[in-house]
Formats: sequence, structure tokens, C-alpha cells
Amino acid sequence: MGNGGVVLADLAGLVRQLHCALVELQRETACLSLESLSNSEWFEILERKLLPQLGEDAWLVVAVTGGTNIGKSVVFNHLAGFRASATSPLASGTRHPVCLAPTGFETRHDLATIFPGFSVQPWTSADDALKDGERDFLFWRTSPQVPENLLLLDTPDIDSDAPVNWRRADAIRQAADVLIAVLTQQKYNDAAVKQFFRKAAEDDAAVIVVFNQCELPEDEAYWPLWCRTFCDETGLKPEWIYVAPNDRKRAEALTLPFYERHVPDASDLRSTIDRHPNAGEGPLPPPSLQETLSRLRFEEIKLRTLRGALLHLAGPKGAEAYLAEIRLASGEYRSAAELLTAQRLAEVDHWPTPPTSLLIKSIQEWWAQQRAGWPGMVHALYNTVGDWLMAPVRSVNTWLSGPTEPPWAAYQRAEWNAVVRTVEKVFERLEWLSQLGHELLRRHLEPVLAGTARGDFLERLAREHGEVDFSRELERLVGAELETFRRENPNYFQFFQRLDAAAAAARPGLTVALSLTGIGLPFGEAATHLASHAVWQTALHVVGDVAGGTMAAAIGDTAISSTAASGVAYLQARFHRLQAAFTTSRVAWLAERMERNLLGPTTEHLARAVAAPQTPAFQQVEASLKEIRGALERSGCALREDLLSTGEDGHAETANLNHSESLRG
Amino acid sequence: MKTDELAYLDWLARVDALRTQLAQWAAQPVDWEPLRPAQALIQRLLSRMEPLRVRWEAPLVVATFGGTGTGKSSLVNALVGEDVSKAGKERPTTVRPIVLAHVDVDLSTLQLPLDRVDVVRSDLPLLRDIVLIDCPDPDTTETESESTNLGRLHELLPFCDVLLYVSTQQKYRSAKVGEELGKAAESCRLVFVQTHADCDADIRDDWRRQLEPTYQIAEMFFVDSRRALAEQREGLHPSGDFGRLMTFLSRELAATRRAGVRKANLLELLDQGLRRGIDLVTPALGALDDLEDAVVRERRKLGAKMAENFGRELLACRTLWERRLLAQVTQSWGMSPFAGLLRMYQAQVMVLSTWWLFRSRSTAQMALWGAWQGAKWLGERQSLQAEEERLSRLTDFGIDPAEFRSAQVTLAGYVHAAQFHRDSASDERLDGEAAVAAAFLNEASQKLNRLVDRAASRNSGWWTRLRYEALFLIFPAFLIYRIGRNYFYDSFWLDKPLLDLNFYIPSALFLFLWGAAFLWRFVTRLRRGVQSEIQELTRSLSESAAWDELFRPLSVRCRRARDQVAQLQSLETTVQALRQSLEDDSRLGGRHARV
Repeated sequence: MGNGGVVLADLAGLVRQLHCALVELQRETACLSLESLSNSEWFEILERKLLPQLGEDAWLVVAVTGGTNIGKSVVFNHLAGFRASATSPLASGTRHPVCLAPTGFETRHDLATIFPGFSVQPWTSADDALKDGERDFLFWRTSPQVPENLLLLDTPDIDSDAPVNWRRADAIRQAADVLIAVLTQQKYNDAAVKQFFRKAAEDDAAVIVVFNQCELPEDEAYWPLWCRTFCDETGLKPEWIYVAPNDRKRAEALTLPFYERHVPDASDLRSTIDRHPNAGEGPLPPPSLQETLSRLRFEEIKLRTLRGALLHLAGPKGAEAYLAEIRLASGEYRSAAELLTAQRLAEVDHWPTPPTSLLIKSIQEWWAQQRAGWPGMVHALYNTVGDWLMAPVRSVNTWLSGPTEPPWAAYQRAEWNAVVRTVEKVFERLEWLSQLGHELLRRHLEPVLAGTARGDFLERLAREHGEVDFSRELERLVGAELETFRRENPNYFQFFQRLDAAAAAARPGLTVALSLTGIGLPFGEAATHLASHAVWQTALHVVGDVAGGTMAAAIGDTAISSTAASGVAYLQARFHRLQAAFTTSRVAWLAERMERNLLGPTTEHLARAVAAPQTPAFQQVEASLKEIRGALERSGCALREDLLSTGEDGHAETANLNHSESLRG
Repeated sequence: MKTDELAYLDWLARVDALRTQLAQWAAQPVDWEPLRPAQALIQRLLSRMEPLRVRWEAPLVVATFGGTGTGKSSLVNALVGEDVSKAGKERPTTVRPIVLAHVDVDLSTLQLPLDRVDVVRSDLPLLRDIVLIDCPDPDTTETESESTNLGRLHELLPFCDVLLYVSTQQKYRSAKVGEELGKAAESCRLVFVQTHADCDADIRDDWRRQLEPTYQIAEMFFVDSRRALAEQREGLHPSGDFGRLMTFLSRELAATRRAGVRKANLLELLDQGLRRGIDLVTPALGALDDLEDAVVRERRKLGAKMAENFGRELLACRTLWERRLLAQVTQSWGMSPFAGLLRMYQAQVMVLSTWWLFRSRSTAQMALWGAWQGAKWLGERQSLQAEEERLSRLTDFGIDPAEFRSAQVTLAGYVHAAQFHRDSASDERLDGEAAVAAAFLNEASQKLNRLVDRAASRNSGWWTRLRYEALFLIFPAFLIYRIGRNYFYDSFWLDKPLLDLNFYIPSALFLFLWGAAFLWRFVTRLRRGVQSEIQELTRSLSESAAWDELFRPLSVRCRRARDQVAQLQSLETTVQALRQSLEDDSRLGGRHARV
């Protein structure tokens, strides 16, 4: 026993550690949207019983519990020896627990830590407990009647139409060591009553049954039957049984007799209470219930209930269940994530090719930058002169055909069209995914699929699309691609350079020839300028048309590999590559935006949820649990599936160590 | 008697009509998902109505209801004056329900599950009008199944007309019993009885306070069943509240009251069912509102965009403008030198613009070109059916396909959230835009015509015309004078030579320049102010009624769903009205009619 006590006291640190880890884990796994920990019985027990009581010196929490209007407060007042809690013929009167403590208890202990969640107030009158309201109060006062190291509580009911009462009663039950179960003929088999005491049985609380409002002597024949049904239904093994008559006057006068009775089946007897010498020998003299309380073996009961609570915590219905729940939920998220990532969301087709003229222009510009020496100067001069000469022609053309749109506008429009078409396909796919029946995935996809979300996404995408600088994008790509070309094929590059130089040499020659034939400047110059442009354009237009087709890739490949390939075929292949590279970079742009603005939060959430069982908090909880379990096993408490320890070895120990002698009032 | 009978028949007819309406509502096709569960609920309600109608004239079925140990069996025994149902101290006592019926009553009309109850026959006068059932309790069962007391109770409740709700000081605020009563009272009248008067305090006032928000309560009884049974055995009429209870039951449950009780029950059931149906649908109405708002918003957005494009194009079609304006002016001016000049210019512009029309077509050009050619062109365009082509056609109407598709994508989200059936939604996605275009073009043409009329008439007043004609004539008149003088006077009388080409070529050149200057001046004048009018036109077109045609199928579906909800609500109102019209002098309790 002492050994067991020491081990349990040692566990206090571990339990605190476990609690911290659990709180942290709950915070970290918020993304799994699990039910709050404070809704689970074992966590409530951890917070209400183990944290405040483990490691402290032994005191007992004794609570009077039961259905509404069956005389809980009457029993409590009898124990208190005065009218501590108001009684009334109307049901559901007691709203808040009332606590009686031995004199001087409050100087040694803080009631607020013993009863977390309650606003602890000093008792002023018996009517305190009748207060309405959502706030949970606990009214307390000291009483010399209460045995040392014992807290006596009156609790709200567990079955009325005020659920707030059940919640408060549950909270007290979780902290209690001894429950005084007040039962009546009408209520001993009620569903709500059975459910309440079944939970108490799971935590191995000590229970004293009081059959109140009995019609004596005829009910003497019935209470053993009631008791049997109650015990069978709840799994409780009462320490002691009392029977009280239905006598309203004596109840009011606090002189109700409580007759001590034997538990019907002797094998159910427990030895945590010292037998009264006159037990079972008739109703007279009625021993006081109070006396029984003073005969409780404090340390043993304390040890047992703490152990029961620890077993609950470490058992399969405890924290382990929470971990399993996290694993399960995380697995669900994993399958959702797999489902989402396994799907190809959209095939991109009909993406527009960049306008050939602009592509050519940027190639020309790049080429112009590569020119050096006299050919560069000649070309630059001629081009400038040509542009200058063509200026009036261009402006006349503009005037005739009205204002023209900027060069990239048409492409931008076409690309936006393709973007929206792709987005549409993606949404259709997501809708299909959401309707596949994976509830979790559906829950995450629904917000993405909502009309407002779609509108916002499209608006944002449109804004970002409007901000794209296509010409710079193209310039960058052309630069990079042609640079690679120059590096990889120096021969070709030189060949083109030589051609270009030859053209530069030919240009002044042409001018001389033209002026000789009488056409002369400036018309001749403009014509050659136009012609040179046109040649480039037509050549590459043809290339562009071919490149736009599906055959281009094949043609390009052969062009590069074949040594007999002409320069034009080679150019075709390069050109196609340029266009494809541009399209690829644009599609990547869209994919990146979608990832970031549309599915980003979802995939991030999924990833976080999938990783939940790998978090340090999770592992900390696992480790603490393992240690607690190990310590419990070392102290001789086998973990059992049903959480009910028979306490065999515990009893053997207690037989030798009878502390109760010293506790007798 | 005759009037009573007629009134009764009338009432039956109204119930039948209501039933038919409900059946129609539940059977109509719906494509809004939230209506389906409501339809299923109404179907079930109809099947619940059936037994109520069948046993219209059968004796009332009165059942005990209450927590275990409250003395239900004792009450039944005391009512009939003998030990028919075992009352005990072990909970629960009654496991198999007991049906007490008069020897003459044919139980088969009541459709009770006779194989699962014990039937006790008696010739008591009380049982001539009612069938009494001692029911099991609702509060010892934790998980319901057929073999539990709660399961047995639920099986019997649909056959009961009146519940004797029995409670005690200990149990009158039991949550479980209260919850079950709420469900059971949906189609039952209630009698409230507190038992154990021999040992408990009277809590009826507090009990009434607890129940009154939900139930209407005329009477509450506080009885001592044990004493009443003893009195009955001695051949005495029970004294006190029990005697009052017996008188109450024989008065309220008499054969003449049957119809009234059953009417009230039926209407209660219908009322609750319809309310629940409405409650099922109501939360989803928000998404429907959102969808409708979104349709309007997207329409407006597309409309504004289209009108804006239209306005831009109008401003770009300078040549067409001039043609229309000039045509208008020359038409009103008839024949005169300056008008002739305008006509000549217009003919030349005509050639240019015809060529342009064939080159590129847009709504703006179409509207300017006029209705005849426009309609022909439109018809030609509308024959294209494929979706892509239809989309690309939108471009011609000034709608960017991407713009339209964005609207579709957004709306699809709202359709999805509103839980419309997806398939039919996608079927009709692009419907109606041809009608939109036609309506838009029509409206735009009319407005443009008016605009052109206004601009032309503003610039073709007699004073303007007089000035232009007079000033323009100066140079031709001078030429005619010069040529005439040379021909008639100088060459005849003074023998001067006739003017040669050196005169005529420059004269023609100057005449051309003179005419061109006037044309330029006049055309500039015509165009003045048109630009701001076009902007005004664009604004008015963006609010055009033509846009209402966009996404019309969606609006239609929303409206249909709304109509169906409204029908359900009106059925509920009908039931409420029927409930109120029910003249009820009964003292039996029941749930409040909800307002």
C-alpha cells in the first residue's frame, strides 16, 4: 500500500507532463477537427481528478448524487447535521454543488484547484445552490461535523430537463472518491441514472447506496431486488447499503433514520469499510450515515480511485483512444490527399501560340545585339533609315484602318480565354472529386467550389494575368533559347553570321544599283527595307504555320539530326522550340497560380493533418503514456480491458495496513 | 343534425382536398436537391394520415404514458376497478402492453399489432367508448430496439388518439420522458395526471409552468389510484380528483367527441409534418438567394462589358457614321446644290463601307448598317450550332468568350452550393445568348436611329442649310458668271478668245477644293456632340432589359424551386386555418399550434 502510494505520487510529474503534451497535441491537431478533449471522460478525469489530487496527501471527496427530487439534499443535510442545502418538493432545485469541508481544510488546500472549472464561493445560505445561470459555482463552508480530510458535496441532479445540472454533476463525479448514490423505487432503473453510475463504476469509485423514500416494512423484500438490478446494470459494487423510510416530517426535521443493510450477495462485499458491529441486526438502533463516513478507510479508497482514474487514463478508453482517433483521422486525410493528388486536374489544350511577328521581332532584336563590327553598323543604319522612310506610310495606313490594338492584346485575350477554359475544367474535375463520396475531401473542397470563392479566384487571376509583361517574358525566353543555340552550335551560328555579313555588304550595293536605274532614293530604300522585312516574315510565317501543327516536333528532330538538313529546316526546329518553350512557361504560370491561390490552403491543410502522428507532441504523449503504464504495471496494477480492477493484491496489502483506526472520529 | 352532418362532410372533403394537394406536391419532379427530403417527409406523412382516416369512427384509443414507477398500471386498474394490469415495485413492471377493450368492440378496425399485446375484454360501461392501453415506460431504455420498452411504446403510439400522461413528484421533470412526450404528442390529445397523491406533494403548478410553453393545458389531476381502486371495489364512485378524472374522461372521450379528437390529432400531425418539411428546406434558401444574386450580378457585369465594347466600336466606325448621318440629312433636304454635293460624297462612302462590312463585322457596325442587312446576317450566324462556334459568335456581339466563360465558372459554383442537379445545369449553360444578341441588337439599332435622327435634325435646320447653300454657291456662281460673261459677252461683243483649258483645269481644281472644304466643315459639324451621345448610349445599353435573357434557364430553375417552397408554405397556412376553424370546446390538452 505504502509502496503503491509512493509510486502513484511519483506519477504526478508524469501525469502533468502528459497533460501538457495533450494540450499541445490538441492545439497542433486542430486541423483534424476532432471533438474537443474536454468532451471526453478520460480527459475530464485527468483534469478534475488526477491533476489536483495526485501527489497530494490523502483527502476524500464524497459526493451525494442521484436523480432529481429524490432527496439528495435531505441525505446531504443529514450528513452535514444542519440545513446546508435547501430542500423543496419541487424538482431540479439544486443547481450548483455545495461543499462542506473540515475546519481548517481551506488553510491547507486551495478549493479552486481541487475543483477546476468551478467558481468557488463561500456558502452564505442554504438557498445559494438554487441560483440560476450558466456560470458554474461551487459553494463551500467548513463544518466541525465533517471528518478530517474529507470533503462532502451535494450535487445537482443527473436526469432533469436542465442539462447544465448533469454537466455539473458529472464534473463532481469525476473528482469524487466516494459516491453516495441516492436511489428510489421509481428511479433505480432509469436510463439516465444507470448511465451516470456506470461511468462511476468504470473509474472504480467507492459507492454507498441509499434507498430513499422506502415504504417500510413492505419494501424490505424489494430493495435487494432493486439493488441487484442496479448493480447488474451499472457494474457497481456498493460498499454499503442504507434504507431510509418515506417520512417527510422526519426528513425536514433532520431526524430521518438510515438503516444499514447487507449487500445481498456476500461475495460482492468489499472491505474498504469497517463493519459496524450491529450491522444487519434490525432497524434499531439506526447507525448514522455520518459515522459510516468516518469509518471509511481513507488512504485505501484514495489509492483505489486514483488508480482507477490512472487505469482509465492509460487504458484503451483513455488517451490511447485519442491517439488512435488522431491516427485514424490522419489516415483519412492521407487518403483524401492521395485522391486529390492522384487526379490530373486538367489537360491543357488549345493554348494559343505567341504571335509570329512578335517572336520574329524579338529574334531580330536578339540578332541585332549579336552583330558586331561593320555589318552591324550597316544593318543598323539601313534599318533606321528604312524605319524613318516607312513612317509616313505607316501613319497613313493607321489613319485608314482606324486605331490598331497593341501588339500583345490579341494574344493576351486568346491566352486568357485558354486560362478560363482550363480553370473551368479544373473546377469540373474538383466538383466530380467532391462528389466521389470522400466526406473529408468534400468538406475541404466545398469552400473552394463555392461561387464566391470561384469569383474571387478568377478576379485575382485576371488581375495577375493583366499584369504579365509578355514581351519581357518572350525576350527572356528567346534570349535564353538562342543563347543555348549559339553555345551548342557554334558552326551554325557562324554560318548565319557570315550570311548576315554578306547581306550587309549587299545592301549599299543595292542602293547604288537602284540609284543608277533611276528609281533612286528614297523610294528604293523604303522598298528594299520592306522587302527585307517581308522576306523574314514570310519565311518565318511558313515556319510558324508548320510549327503550330503537330508534325513540327518530328520535323524538328530530323532537322537537327540530319547533316543534310538545310539552314531553313534547322531554323524551323529552333523556332518551334521557342514557341513551345513560351507556351510551357505560360502554362507553368497558370499551374503555379492555381496551386497557390486555389488549392494551396487545402493541400497545406491536408499535409498538416497527414503529418499529425509524426509531431513531437504526439510522440511525447505516446512516451508519457508508456511510462505511466510501465509504472502502473510495476506497482502491480494489471491493465484490464474492462478497466475494472478487482484489486485482489491491493486488498491483500490493505489487510496488513489498517490506517482507518487512526481516522476514526 | 342535418347541418352537423353536412358540416362534417364538408370537413372531410377539405381534408381530402388537402391530401390530394399534398400528394401532388410530393410527387412533382424537382431538380433542387433540398426539396427531396421534404418530399419524402410528406410522403411519409401521407402514409401516417391513412390509418387516421380509416378509423375515423372507431372508439378512441387511450393509452397511458409516463416514466417507470409513476403508477400507470395502477391508474388503469383504478379506472376499470379491477386488477387487470400488474402493478409492482420492480422497475419496469409492465413489459407487454395490455389492451383493454369492451366485449363488443371489433379490434381489427384499429389495426393494432394484436400479436404483441395482451388483450383483456370487459363489459365495463367506460370501455364502450374507448379502448384503453397500458403502455410500457419510455425511460428505462438506454438503446432502443424492438425488444425494449421504448421500442414497444413507439410501436403503439401511432395507433393512440389520447395519452394519459402520468407523472409523479420525482419524475415530472425527467428529461427523457419530456423528450419522448414531445414526439408522442404530435398526433395525440393529452390528459395530465399526477399520481401518488397519498404520499407526494402537489407539484401541479410547477409542472404546469414547465409544460405550458409547449402544451395547452386545461386540466391537471392529482389522484390516489390505490384509494380509488379500493373505492371502486366497494362499489363506490371514486372520490376526489380521481372521481373528477373519471367524469372528465367519460365526458371528453364520449362517442360524439371522437371526430373532434381525431380532427385535432390529424391537423396536429399535418401541421408538425409540414413545419418540419419547411424547416428542412429553409436553411437551403440562403444558397438559392446567393445564386439569384450572382446571376443578376454576372448579367450586369457582362452587360456592362458588352455595352462598353459596343461603344468603343461605334466610336471606331467613323465612315459608317458619316454615311448614316449624311443619308439622313440628304433625305430631308431633297434636291439642291449643296445637297447634291452631299449625295455624291455619300455614294462614294457607301462603296467603301459596303466593302468594310464584308471585311469585318461587329454589332456596332451591324447596328449602324441598319436592320435589313443586320437580320440577314444574324440569321446566317445563328445557324451555327456547335458550342465552340456559339462561343466564338459571342465575340461578334461584343462579349469576350473568356468573359462569358468566367461568368459560367462562377455561376457553376453557386449552382453547386445551391444544390441544383448538376446535369441539367450544364445542359442549358449556353442557351439564350442568341436571343440576348438579337434583343440587344434590336434595342441598340432603335436607340442609334434615334441618335442619328437627333444629330441630323440638329444640323439640318433651314438656317444652317441656307447658310451652307448660300456660301457654297458663291464660287460656282462666280464660275458661272465668269464663264457666262466670257461666252456671251466677251467673245460675242468684244471678240475676245474663249477661255481655254488653262482656265478650266484650275477652276475644276478649285471647285473640288471648295466643295471638299464645305464637306469637311459640314461633316465635322455633324459629328460634333455625337461622341458624348454615344457614351450616354453605352450607359443606357448596359442597363438594357436584354441582359435579363442571359442565364435565363438558371433564373427559371430558381423561381421554380421558390414556387415549390411557397406551395409548401401555403399548404401549411391552409392547415393552420383549418386548425383554427376547428370549433373545439374540448378540455383535452395538446401541443400549441405554432404561429
